[in-house]
Amino acid sequence: MDSKNFVRAAVPFAVGAVILAGCGGSSSGNNAKSSSNSGKTFTIAYQGPLSGGNAQLGINMVGGVQLAINQANAGTTFGKLPFKLAFQKEDDQGTPTAAPAAVAKVLQISNLIAVVGPAFSGATRASEPTYSQAGVATVSPSATAPDLATSGWNNFFRVVADDNSQGPSDAQYLAKGLNVKTVYVVDDASAYAAGLSKAFVGAASSNGLTVKKHDTAPGTTQCQAGSGNVQQYGPEAQKIVSSGAEAVFYAGYYCDFALLSKSLHTAGFHGKLMSDDGSKDPNYIKQAGKAVAEGTYVSCACQDTISSSAFTSFASGYQQLTGQAPGTYSAEAYDAANAIISVMKAKGAGVTKADIISGLHASGFSYQGITKNVTFQQNGNVAGNAVYMYVVKNGAIKQLGSVGTLVGG
Amino acid sequence: MCLTHNFWSFLVIGLSNGFLYALIALGYTLVYGVLQLINFAHSEVFMSGAFGGLFVLNKVIGNGTPHGAASVGYVILGIIAGGFVGGLVAFLLERVAYRPLRRRNAPKLAYLISAIGASYFMFNLAGKEFGRNSVDIASPYTNGTVFTFLGAHVQTDYLVVAGVAIGMLVFLDRLVARTRLGQGIRAVAQDADTASLLGVDINRVISQTFIIGGVLGGAAGFLFGLQSGVIYSMGTVPGIKAFTAAVLGGIGNIRGAVIGGLVLGVVESLSVSCINASWTDVIAFGILVVVLLVRPTGILGERLGRSA
Amino acid sequence: MTAPAATRDPGSAWARYRDNKDLQRLAICLVVGAIVALMTGKSGTVTAPTSGITGTFKSSSAYVWIGIFVALWLLLTVRDRYLQSVQSATHVLTTNRDRVLAITPVKWGIYAAGLVVAIALPHFVNNFWQEVLVGQIAPYVLLAVGLNVVVGFAGLLDLGYIAFYAVGAYSAAYWTGSLPAHPPFTVNPFWAFPLAIAAAMLAGVILGAPTLRLRGDYLAIVTLGFGEIIQIVANNLTSVTGGAQGITKAVPSFSVHAGGLHYVWPLELLPGNHYRWYYLILALIVVVLTAFHLLENSRVGRAWMAIREDEVAAEAVGINPLKYKVLAFAIGASTSGVAGVFFASKNGTFTPPDFAFQASILILVLVIFGGMGSLPGAVIGAAVLQWLPQALRSHIEQQDLYIYYGALLIVMMIFRPQGLIPSRRRAREIRMAEHGVGSADAMAQPGGAP
Repeated sequence: MDSKNFVRAAVPFAVGAVILAGCGGSSSGNNAKSSSNSGKTFTIAYQGPLSGGNAQLGINMVGGVQLAINQANAGTTFGKLPFKLAFQKEDDQGTPTAAPAAVAKVLQISNLIAVVGPAFSGATRASEPTYSQAGVATVSPSATAPDLATSGWNNFFRVVADDNSQGPSDAQYLAKGLNVKTVYVVDDASAYAAGLSKAFVGAASSNGLTVKKHDTAPGTTQCQAGSGNVQQYGPEAQKIVSSGAEAVFYAGYYCDFALLSKSLHTAGFHGKLMSDDGSKDPNYIKQAGKAVAEGTYVSCACQDTISSSAFTSFASGYQQLTGQAPGTYSAEAYDAANAIISVMKAKGAGVTKADIISGLHASGFSYQGITKNVTFQQNGNVAGNAVYMYVVKNGAIKQLGSVGTLVGG
Repeated sequence: MCLTHNFWSFLVIGLSNGFLYALIALGYTLVYGVLQLINFAHSEVFMSGAFGGLFVLNKVIGNGTPHGAASVGYVILGIIAGGFVGGLVAFLLERVAYRPLRRRNAPKLAYLISAIGASYFMFNLAGKEFGRNSVDIASPYTNGTVFTFLGAHVQTDYLVVAGVAIGMLVFLDRLVARTRLGQGIRAVAQDADTASLLGVDINRVISQTFIIGGVLGGAAGFLFGLQSGVIYSMGTVPGIKAFTAAVLGGIGNIRGAVIGGLVLGVVESLSVSCINASWTDVIAFGILVVVLLVRPTGILGERLGRSA
Repeated sequence: MTAPAATRDPGSAWARYRDNKDLQRLAICLVVGAIVALMTGKSGTVTAPTSGITGTFKSSSAYVWIGIFVALWLLLTVRDRYLQSVQSATHVLTTNRDRVLAITPVKWGIYAAGLVVAIALPHFVNNFWQEVLVGQIAPYVLLAVGLNVVVGFAGLLDLGYIAFYAVGAYSAAYWTGSLPAHPPFTVNPFWAFPLAIAAAMLAGVILGAPTLRLRGDYLAIVTLGFGEIIQIVANNLTSVTGGAQGITKAVPSFSVHAGGLHYVWPLELLPGNHYRWYYLILALIVVVLTAFHLLENSRVGRAWMAIREDEVAAEAVGINPLKYKVLAFAIGASTSGVAGVFFASKNGTFTPPDFAFQASILILVLVIFGGMGSLPGAVIGAAVLQWLPQALRSHIEQQDLYIYYGALLIVMMIFRPQGLIPSRRRAREIRMAEHGVGSADAMAQPGGAP
């Protein structure tokens, strides 16, 4: 039979084809930048979502880490280092199911020194027991679940404030800084948003803020990360307008926030819009449109303007490396990698994995990053959980200041 | 209480959403009527129509803000572009994924699996080729409130969608009832073997059915993209919802698809109002199950032939 | 061909193309080559949407692919023209192979050898591959075997199979006290197995009893909906399931503390820790496979076969189709539940997105690829298709995986619907269905109603 023989011939081709695909010159994350003169090479690994709905966040972070490593190797950030740095990225899809395989792959790296990641809280929970036993420091740029710091992993660090800082600060700013009395809370049903909105709602009443309603509007397929229905924003916006709330707090990411903002605008909502650091992305303004985005607030446990020249040079370096502007968590990943490298520099070429853990925990340790001054508490949380407020003005996200100073302390 | 507060606003939004579902559902129902096949890949036909409309309109409008007659022209252009790409993709889909199976008389299961495979193949390939972020279509008109009806603001968007959907429905109705092609479709839907004995070219009718369904789906994709942007994954959820709507109204029944779409749109809108957006899917599927158990032929029954 | 060639204008190029099978085959090979080039080539971006396509065709690898497929075309054309004898030779070989494999001792010899390989395997691979075996391959083998009962034995399309996996995992979490909702008493994770099996079976019956009367494609949609509903419920009921954040209090790993024996399955998956997990799941798989093999050849298996091949005739000889369909559902569900318990305990934590619709499709791909209705097929198919992405981890972007899976489904359905290692019965059914006898699955409504 014709087709049967076709398939008999085709199947080995197909299998061979797939294997040959490796030779097709596609992306590989193993950029070993080892050079001939310096002997030692260490690898910093990244674990996070590189596929699936949250891949863009992972790509943002990879850009940040890669830039940090390139600059360290070139001697720009720390001067000449007695070793070379290599970078390997591993995909855990942001889920606890795929995490163990990624962890195993990372632990295969013979000259592994530390890990930037895991990016997502669920994946972190699945990975930390193994990393902890293996004695590898993991510095997460984005895992915000509060319970991660209290699970007894001494190798766990994060450079972002957890949900318990950002949520209450947002509530505080709405109530005290913007004099809002009633707020409508919407979260996108992701793990990140669930934790953050819970913290926000919990802190609302103590700030004199009434939560009219706390709705869940699942992140949509328009935004890749979700399976929700984009048609929901029409009725949801109507519901919000009918409730008479003065402000809307959205916990989630920029893409769905843009859709919600547009629907609110269409439905005639005139109140304040606020979201979290997941929405602190220039794409928000692009997708919502300048008119809709104008005046929206976003919070972040990060500073853009500690030293505006440092941030600008980071942004231009990032643009040069990846061809795009830095996105959500790029800067945090950059800081995480640099914090690790600063400890490595202090210890010299004989640095070990254990040195990184003890170095980051050391009482005097501090690294001036571009998002904050990185120091760690004993449980791995970053010290100084100041949350900063930003507003969209003239088509750009501008920093207003730390919530603490803005509301008068 | 939730049904009395601002009911008309929710109804109007629900109807607008419903018309979009109806447009997509028409594609499912046509193919099902003729082939008894759930064309899972119709959601990707929808998505490719959106991309077609996106590329054409972005090229033509650029950074401008059209008004008046130009707006109408651009909307029509977008619909044609979307419909054309949709029809083309549907035609290719039928040729590649279903016709070979028909040729060898494959069991029903094989069609469904091939459909699922085609769906996953297309949407992931689109993601790879066109990037994985959402893009907006250059707007051919400025959206605003056209009039208010009992307190509900009726937007330009809603009118465009409703207008196109009703136009398409009327066109399709005429096509199926009056033309030779329509006769062929009804014949094949009723009894394919006898139809071929009577000289109907089955392959041609099936191809044409797919193309028509594709044109409708592609146009729907363009309209959808106007409102919410275009992204490779945009078809997955509307596709399932539209299929639910088609079954609800009576799969294979053209008017049923529209009724089903409208009902589903309104029910979803009201359930957001009364409960929460995160439970709407549960409600939608719950209704589907109940309808299937109680009245498997749907609200209007299953006849494609007599579309009433 | 829709009309005889004589009635067409024989001079037109299109007519010549239509009548020339070789040219058609060349066109197909070229197009397929181009598509494969696109699949393996550059990715586009949102700002430069055609950059992926132009980038791919600018690079030489695209033309290598097209060249490969043109070479394939040449091979087939030449073989068709000149090497008819090859066909008969391969035919003789395959018939003899089938004959040999039908001899029971040979078959069992192969299974035994396979088991030995499976037992020895972890000792020959590194820690990463051990993790892949335990976390990515073995649970999916179990899932594929379970779905095989539903899709392969009973011929029902279940698009929400992952829901039962979720039921198993959440049951394990519940009964070990890791959920916000507290059980009346907590148990050792091993006891979660029977409890989860009961829960999953119940879920299977609840889903199946009302809906298995529906015809096949409606059933597919309803099962899809059920899968979605389970995921949504898990995500929304935060006070019961932990909601979107998933399990924050780790599910304890298995442990046995009895009569002086203290044996723990470690949570940290470092070198040396994988063996216990592996042998546990291997034991589970062997038990399940044995049970299903016996089932296949029992009365129940024959009833499924009858329903698959001709439901009307089956009913006529006194088989109650609904009862056996629900049984298939329940058995498939409980297998999934078992896998869920193992997953929950090994991972310690999980979130609702782990049970997305895509996972149901993945398991379906595994079963189809391996061979619907074939137990060895399900095992090998799952193993191969789960191994491949890990082997190609640094070469193919994980993002692109489902492009391949989708294409694989289409190709399998067109060229080899019986799968990699077909069950002979199923292959015959499919061949019979192609010739108009019977339906090869339980999709059509009895009585021939559309």
